Amino acid sequence: MDVKLYKVKLLTVVCEILAQKNVLGILERHDIRGYTTYEVHGKGARGIRGQGLQNEKNAKIEVIVREEKLSGVIEEISQTMFADYALVLYVSDVGVVRTEKF
Amino acid sequence: MEVLELIQSNLLTPIVLFFLFGIIAARIKSDLKIPEAISEFLPIYLLAAIGLHGGVEMRNTGFERMLVPMLVAIGLSLLFTLNHYQILRRLGKFNLYDSYALASTYGAVGAVTFSVGLSFLRDQGVTSEGYLAAVLAVLEPVAFILAIFMTNMAVAKQLRTKRQSSGGTESDVGVQKMRLAGVLRESVTGKAIVILLGSIVIGYVIGSEGFEPISIVFEEMFVGAIVIFMIEMGVIAGQRLEDIKKVGVFLSAFAIVMPTINGMIGVLVATAMGLSLGGSVMFGLLLASASFIAAPAVLRHAIPEAKPSLYITSALGITFPYNIIVLLPVMFAVSTITHGPEAIDLFRHVMGGWT
Repeated sequence: MDVKLYKVKLLTVVCEILAQKNVLGILERHDIRGYTTYEVHGKGARGIRGQGLQNEKNAKIEVIVREEKLSGVIEEISQTMFADYALVLYVSDVGVVRTEKF
Repeated sequence: MEVLELIQSNLLTPIVLFFLFGIIAARIKSDLKIPEAISEFLPIYLLAAIGLHGGVEMRNTGFERMLVPMLVAIGLSLLFTLNHYQILRRLGKFNLYDSYALASTYGAVGAVTFSVGLSFLRDQGVTSEGYLAAVLAVLEPVAFILAIFMTNMAVAKQLRTKRQSSGGTESDVGVQKMRLAGVLRESVTGKAIVILLGSIVIGYVIGSEGFEPISIVFEEMFVGAIVIFMIEMGVIAGQRLEDIKKVGVFLSAFAIVMPTINGMIGVLVATAMGLSLGGSVMFGLLLASASFIAAPAVLRHAIPEAKPSLYITSALGITFPYNIIVLLPVMFAVSTITHGPEAIDLFRHVMGGWT
């Protein structure tokens, strides 16, 4: 096997579901078009989430980004959202085959 | 005595019993839960049923007399929201954001509470004016829009003074304006208002005759559907019982006293406007109810600084049960008195004195 993998970053944001739209808006502003979202449950600093009403669920957003764009996105999320929303984000290294997609 | 009897018999209706049952189920940590798709579907169904029913009624009785009650309802809702804000901010010492968020939660209307009210009236064999469904639709965004507007004004003012002293940025004000525009669009095109207004129009177009074939779903199943939804409401309220402690004494008292005052004013004003016995109860309930389904969705975006644990917990955990168990029968009793023959005589007497 001799597949060439290109190094890119995977940004994962776990947040209350009502904050999802804000995160996606930020991605849009940074010209990032592709993402994957899930509805998730879990427990964090603000207690167990995902019980009861639809609005109380958590969302997990995964975005593959080139390293150049990453810091801008993270900066905007932390400045506009950390204070008011239940939100966690982390970054990991991933490899992709077709780098032109990102 | 009669009021106590009403409360007592109201306590033993399936709606209230299933709500209490849901709370117990949550307390014993049962995994009982209404499947998600159904609990999302039920509010839409309830609004469709309310709208259709209102539309059919409006065709039968006309809606010319709707304008005054609607304008009065809007006026009261705005007035109450501002009043709530002053009380919360000055007496409750809540911060600006929490005060406005709570003020609008309590100025807004609860569709589920409205459904329970309709079912209560049906039990009592009383009808209400169909156009109240349209009032419900119009009232839905009013309090939020006001609160968000006021919050934006206050924040913009703060930013201006800050800029004068230290030189802030113009973009912060832009963000605030964007929020209001977004909220306006979202609340008017939101699913609650769209389904409600759509159903009112369809109900008006089809009339009683057209409603006949679908009445099994939208009329006969109505109370049963509320009952199923009450299980879910009970479970959620039960899960939040611990949070009520965090709400604090002041807000807990507010969550009971304010709806009582607003509801009573509503019943009296509606009676004075000539609404029927049942219509006055529903009018009072509109003003007494707090929003707990629409509120978080709107406020989380519009006033993200406000703590949702405060407004959701107080509206759903305290005000909603209080409204459907205690306040609804009390308002019914008051409306019965104000619509009694003696009250009408008194009313005529007072009015006679004017002319």
